[in-house]
Amino acid sequence: MEYILKNGIVYDPTHNVTGDRKDVMIKDGKIVDNVSSDAKVLDVTDKLVMAAGVDVHAHIAGPKLCVGRLYRPEDSRAGVVPKTDITRAETGFSIPSCSATGYRYSRMGYGTVTEAAVPPLEAKHTHEEIMAIPNIDVSPLALFGNNWFVLQFVKKNDLEGLAAFVSAWLKLSKCYGMKVVNPCGSEAWGWGMNVHGIDDPAPHWDVTGGEVVRALTQVNEMLGLPHSMHVHPNDLGHPGNYPTTIGTLDAVKDVKKNPNVIRDQTIHCTHLQFHCYGGTSWRDAKSGAAPVADYINKNKHVTCDVGQVTFDETTTMTADAPMEYDLYKLSGLKWANKDIELETASGLIPIIYSPKAPVNALQWAIGLELFLLINDPWQVVLTTDSPNAGPFIRYPRIMSWLMSSDRRTEMLENEVHKWATKRTDLASLDRVYDWSDIATVTRSAPAKILGLEQRGHLGVGANADVAVYDIEPENFDATKASNASVIEDVMGRAAYTIKDGEIVVKDGKIVKVVPSRHMWTNVTGFEEQEKKVLEDIMPMFNRYYTVKFENYKVFDHYIDPAIEFKIDAGK
Amino acid sequence: MAYEEPITDYDHIVENCTCAFCGSNCDDLDFLVKGNHVVGVRHACRLGASKIMEDEDQRLKVPMMRDENGELQEVDWDTALDAAAELIANSVRPLFYGWSETSIECMKKGLKLTEYVGAVIDNQATICHGPTVQAVQNVGYPLMTLGEVKNRADMVVYTGSNPMNAHPRHLARYSVFPRGWFRQRGRFDRTLVTWDPKFSDTAKMSDIWVPFEENGDYGFCNAIRAVLKGKELKEDVISGIPKQDIIDLTESMKNVEFGALFFGLGLTHTLSKQRNIDIAIQLVQDLNAYTKWVLLPMRGHFNVNGFNIYMAYEMGFPYGVDFCRGYPRYMIGETTTVDLLNRKEPDVFLVIAADPGAHFPGGANMHLANIPVIQIDIHWGPSTELADIVLPGTFIGVETAGTSYRMDSVPIHMKSAIDPPETCREDEWIVNELYERVKKIKEEAK
Amino acid sequence: MKTITLTLKKFSSIALEFEELIPDTVYNWSKEDFENYQVPIGNTRFPLTNYFDIEVEGDAEGPEDVKMILDGDMSRVKYIGYRMTAGEIIVNGDADLQAGAEMIGGSLKINGNAESYVGREMRGGSIEVMGNVREYCGTSYIGEWRGMSGGVIKVHGNAGKQLADCMSGGEIYIGGSCDILAGIHMTKGYIEIGGDVTRWPGGQMKNGTIVIKGKLSSLLEGFENEGIFVDPDIEGKQLTGKYIKYKGDIGVNGKGSLWLNAEKNRNLL
Repeated sequence: MEYILKNGIVYDPTHNVTGDRKDVMIKDGKIVDNVSSDAKVLDVTDKLVMAAGVDVHAHIAGPKLCVGRLYRPEDSRAGVVPKTDITRAETGFSIPSCSATGYRYSRMGYGTVTEAAVPPLEAKHTHEEIMAIPNIDVSPLALFGNNWFVLQFVKKNDLEGLAAFVSAWLKLSKCYGMKVVNPCGSEAWGWGMNVHGIDDPAPHWDVTGGEVVRALTQVNEMLGLPHSMHVHPNDLGHPGNYPTTIGTLDAVKDVKKNPNVIRDQTIHCTHLQFHCYGGTSWRDAKSGAAPVADYINKNKHVTCDVGQVTFDETTTMTADAPMEYDLYKLSGLKWANKDIELETASGLIPIIYSPKAPVNALQWAIGLELFLLINDPWQVVLTTDSPNAGPFIRYPRIMSWLMSSDRRTEMLENEVHKWATKRTDLASLDRVYDWSDIATVTRSAPAKILGLEQRGHLGVGANADVAVYDIEPENFDATKASNASVIEDVMGRAAYTIKDGEIVVKDGKIVKVVPSRHMWTNVTGFEEQEKKVLEDIMPMFNRYYTVKFENYKVFDHYIDPAIEFKIDAGK
Repeated sequence: MAYEEPITDYDHIVENCTCAFCGSNCDDLDFLVKGNHVVGVRHACRLGASKIMEDEDQRLKVPMMRDENGELQEVDWDTALDAAAELIANSVRPLFYGWSETSIECMKKGLKLTEYVGAVIDNQATICHGPTVQAVQNVGYPLMTLGEVKNRADMVVYTGSNPMNAHPRHLARYSVFPRGWFRQRGRFDRTLVTWDPKFSDTAKMSDIWVPFEENGDYGFCNAIRAVLKGKELKEDVISGIPKQDIIDLTESMKNVEFGALFFGLGLTHTLSKQRNIDIAIQLVQDLNAYTKWVLLPMRGHFNVNGFNIYMAYEMGFPYGVDFCRGYPRYMIGETTTVDLLNRKEPDVFLVIAADPGAHFPGGANMHLANIPVIQIDIHWGPSTELADIVLPGTFIGVETAGTSYRMDSVPIHMKSAIDPPETCREDEWIVNELYERVKKIKEEAK
Repeated sequence: MKTITLTLKKFSSIALEFEELIPDTVYNWSKEDFENYQVPIGNTRFPLTNYFDIEVEGDAEGPEDVKMILDGDMSRVKYIGYRMTAGEIIVNGDADLQAGAEMIGGSLKINGNAESYVGREMRGGSIEVMGNVREYCGTSYIGEWRGMSGGVIKVHGNAGKQLADCMSGGEIYIGGSCDILAGIHMTKGYIEIGGDVTRWPGGQMKNGTIVIKGKLSSLLEGFENEGIFVDPDIEGKQLTGKYIKYKGDIGVNGKGSLWLNAEKNRNLL
């Protein structure tokens, strides 16, 4: 099938296309520079055209999502949509059912989403859910930061062994990259404890979070994985945590980037908003966004996503299980926990972010400060750490806040608690994002950060993942406060979403359902080392896991259809 | 127990098979195969081994339908499937029940059929750990995988369950006996506690037995929570337990390094049902302020948890989901199987991998006797006596591979070791076939 | 004023779902509209006329002008008065599940018994049941920690288990006896039980008020005696006689109050 999207206003920051009137041509699922006369013409005159969105960090599939769905029927009920001839029934607001997840991303014009936390023991579950999610390709990240084998390799300072282990475990779990969550802290949670800062060792292991992040970052570059180290630092959500955040980023400053990767960074810091708090307690908490943003502005080895609070009733879920228990002690709402043997912990709790609550207003303002204080939009990605700071369906609303300082002022003056004004610099920031910035932080930057060459842009050879929105950028003043609701509406229901050259959304409605692909990284060139490492660790595996090694791995039929990223680590 | 000679007469061994009996899903079984039959099973408990080895016992081998005299007679697959599809296509309140002893792959087809016709889909949780799910929904779910208990736990509590009889390898493989990373002496490093009115086989081998009175669970947990909050107990004996024993127990639970509470149907099915679990969960949550505690329901069927997980990720609700209005609804007492049957609502009942004839209350079975029942199963059982159409399936984990979720939600791919009987069909195929045929009937009627 | 009378002529064992037939939607319906209406039953819709004789008298400007009378055995008619905001519904017979669930305003009167979930998550208005109610009257939705938040439920007969789970406002009066765990997890609101109570009222309650005028068989350890009060005034309601006051549930640091009639519960004095 060939398509030509005619006369649209195209934003493609990767190729410095900023609002040019251009045709976009598609053939066999790819962007091309020429189509035959058989090409179907889609008239998108004056409309906003971008590559399909890429989400660098969200929680959409896997065991803790499922605990959320299982134990929050009241949330499932809040998003019920009846079936249609094309779509299945949807449920869920903050934790949508699998098919709803696919439809909703697709309606927003997104085509690729990173599932940010996969415990390898239950990776089959994550992949089962990805099979049930339509219309978006998913890049799952496996959890390594509290894995007992990792802790042992780090303690022995055996980077070669660690690299082989990571390489083997990505194959076993069929994951795309590495994720570290509260390194050593989730292991400490095995005893109901936490670690504080990057130099506090996990009980019994004599290894610190800082050491784990550094070692895994080195290994990541040794292997040349397409994505970098993806870290959720220690001390999430604690007032006064921003030095820990900077310390984590600085711990890998001298790690040399692998020359074969397309990304610029060696470390991606996720949901940075939760890691930028000053003060010493919630009594005197204030923004720590400025020093962190300043560090990022000066250091190109760092990228981040924000984890913007959206003022919703949502569900927090993270492998940072001790933090979830802290939240339980504060709110008393129903707390779930899920610890995974030898690998990680995780926790969940519903949360209500209210604009009238001082802490929530502060968190909201810190998120926006980060967007506005980090100068280079290629270093910052729009996320809500969905569903933690808000559900992903709120991305369009965040766009409206970024594009209008008038709207932000309106909110600061009338809608949110005064902590947002008094304890942050948000009120003084009048920077606004233009459509090019929006395209960068929602498509081009996340694709590059993830190391996805064929996504996030509209150059020849890219995947034909395209979004068209029913707005005329040339005739629309996005800076006007009163237009915020228009942006939210329009960006929430794409005029077209095209996935691999097929129209899956038209006029905000799902018109076609295609299976999502499982993206995974296959490291080659490390076979001998992998074999040896597996032999070495097998006695420990057999004795302390409760499943047999043969039954541990993700079999190929759980990742159908898949996209394999073959990496030659020898190069 | 008499000595049994080891089995030596077999052709080959299939290693690391998964047991399709209880929620422990032991995945370390070796099947000894001779002539497409499992003649021996290594590592399994007697429950698991006998289910796997006696698979031919009372096996349903051919499709059957009742004749005009009410006797089940063999028919060909087309006849049986068409008749079943006709019943489903024309029903107003179909109910598809069971699923806990089949694979996730089969459930996928089942949900597709359910959504298509607007049926209610439900599993055995509705009569076993449903109250647990409700309690989890009310107050939370602090759980873990079983290896956490093996590697860390120094106190293990079983309440309202008797794993020595019902989950025979639970203590041996996961919780009490094995040597763990931080518990190198295994059993000697742990305190085993049983709270149960009965002096069960598990209680007999426990270090501490707390025999609270029947229906005393809620009051007992409430008292421990009060002690944790520093309250002095008023009564000398609470739920049949002397005051001082409750105080001592609370103190020892506070002072362990890692405690695990396992509970079974003894908690879910006494007077205050889900509220027993509700308060037990809150007790575990309270204890986490002092030290580490986790809990886990002792799920029965090997994939009963799998159905709840599958339905949760596909449709946001764990069991008892009603699609009659074109969107899912979940309302305990309204969309749950036994309530619907007691109200005499369903007009067609499909049962797969379950035995309501053996497990449902009389009132529910009375209604089943009055409506068409389609059974998909591998063994003849009380439900076969209620069935009008019988469709013989295959044995997951022995004859057919498939996915299951262990009681602690660890997903396991259960491999197959032998071929199914030629006249049987895989569950997944049967349900999909029903879907295709129902769809054809419905579309022709349009 | 518009009076709509639906008289049952055929009983369906598969429940009819009535959430579309509330004053808010039918105030401007003619008799013909009702006759053309198809009511959801199971996975299908059938003509309402299969099951009811229909009479419509008078006119209404809005739902507040509507009086709906349901005559006959409605024990297989679910969701009567679901989410209604105004008007009046009278059931002359038993009512099925979910009567008055999520009700916002208006009044619902059941001259018979009602099934479970009467007034679930009710926000306003009034429900009166002349007979008994089964479980989960005035409760929350499963998993939802914010339950009934307003309005009044008055039951002249007995109430089943787990009355008013997670209640967070409003008032419930039970004339007869009440089964276990009334007011479990409640955070606000007022429950008054005229008869005897089996066990454990107020389990895990955080706040709110429960008054028991009859005998209580078993009190939880999580409640602490705060003394005896004569003719107490509780939230503006004047009670007569001696009452023992308890505070609880300690297990959740609760500040709820439980009042027991002292004469009927002399064993606790």
